[in-house]
Amino acid sequence: MEKKIVPKPKNDSLIAQLESLYKTFINTSPKENLNFDLSSLEWVCPLLILPVSAYINNTKSSCETNNSSIESYLKRIEFPKGIDSISLFQQRIQKYKSFVPISVLKKEAGASREKLEALFSEKIYQILGNVSGAQGAVCYPIAELVTNIFEHSKKDIGFIFGQFYPHKNYLDVCIVDCGRGFATAYKEEKGLKLTDINAISEVMRGNSVKPDKERGYGIWTSKRIICDALKGGGFILISGSAGLVATTKEEKLVSFPNFYWQGVIVAYRIPKPSGLLDISPFLE
Amino acid sequence: MIHTEKSHKNLIISRLLAPILSSRDIVDILEKIIKKTNTKSVDLDFSGVKFISRSAAHALLLMKERLQAKRDISFINTNKDVTNMLRIVAANRVVSEKQKPEFNIEKISVNSLFKEILV
Repeated sequence: MEKKIVPKPKNDSLIAQLESLYKTFINTSPKENLNFDLSSLEWVCPLLILPVSAYINNTKSSCETNNSSIESYLKRIEFPKGIDSISLFQQRIQKYKSFVPISVLKKEAGASREKLEALFSEKIYQILGNVSGAQGAVCYPIAELVTNIFEHSKKDIGFIFGQFYPHKNYLDVCIVDCGRGFATAYKEEKGLKLTDINAISEVMRGNSVKPDKERGYGIWTSKRIICDALKGGGFILISGSAGLVATTKEEKLVSFPNFYWQGVIVAYRIPKPSGLLDISPFLE
Repeated sequence: MIHTEKSHKNLIISRLLAPILSSRDIVDILEKIIKKTNTKSVDLDFSGVKFISRSAAHALLLMKERLQAKRDISFINTNKDVTNMLRIVAANRVVSEKQKPEFNIEKISVNSLFKEILV
């Protein structure tokens, strides 16, 4: 089993987390059995730790956290296995005020999964201070990005994790699946042969893999709500060997050489809402 | 959870499903419940539902259309956010095709991206 050192991010920006994630998985085959060494980490963000958690769960890989200064934090967030039980989730969110533990959403659980996801969203809304009108802005991206997993990934399991940073006044959320990814979804559903970067572009043009013309709004509207409605948010979308990095000011498409994420990773950062929010203009 | 009257049933969505409705497939569960009812009229009671996603709203409207020949389905006690989402999705259904967004953005190398970390 190959050992993979998860490198310490250079700073707390989303792009620095992305760099560490890239370096963790570079030159790795999608289903390779790995042993992750987290001993160099002094803190982690959802974008870095949730894909590692999902990978461990998906491939039965292992990890070493014993000598890490964040060992107790990793235990509190339920790394690496996560939790899928509503009662356990309720216990944890009463105990901890600034994060929502790694949650495992299972498709077959039906209404139970929906209730767990609702608890996750409500806790995130509560952490952000129950700002009037913010519930839609908080719930929309979570709802649409999670439902996207079950609609398109062909996997019956998804992972979600959220952490609020009270001193920095922002919230990070990451949502991950280990499914077929966008390019394969377009190929299998529509017969389109697209590179990973072109598949992400199709997603952001609102072209659903499903034939229904009324569909395909979930991800690009979520990005607009995060970056524009919530003013100052950041959004990262990764599938296969490509990614989109978006902020309020700019958007960039990136190819990741010698890197392949089997599935989709969505991570975003939103500033704590300070006033009335209305997402209606972004939905029309 | 399911209140039966003589001519119609009232289904309380927040208890049957969840207070935040996200997934399309959750509507399949609701459809099965409605099909088991033996009344012509079914009220879907949204009291306690705080938010509905666009996807779930779309699936709900499609379900209503599918069942309308056999059932009179009404959405009741919807809050402002839920009403708004159902209205927007319903409006988009009658317009032939909503304008899709332009997306032609800069492609950069991973090295250029990671240089930004230290800026």
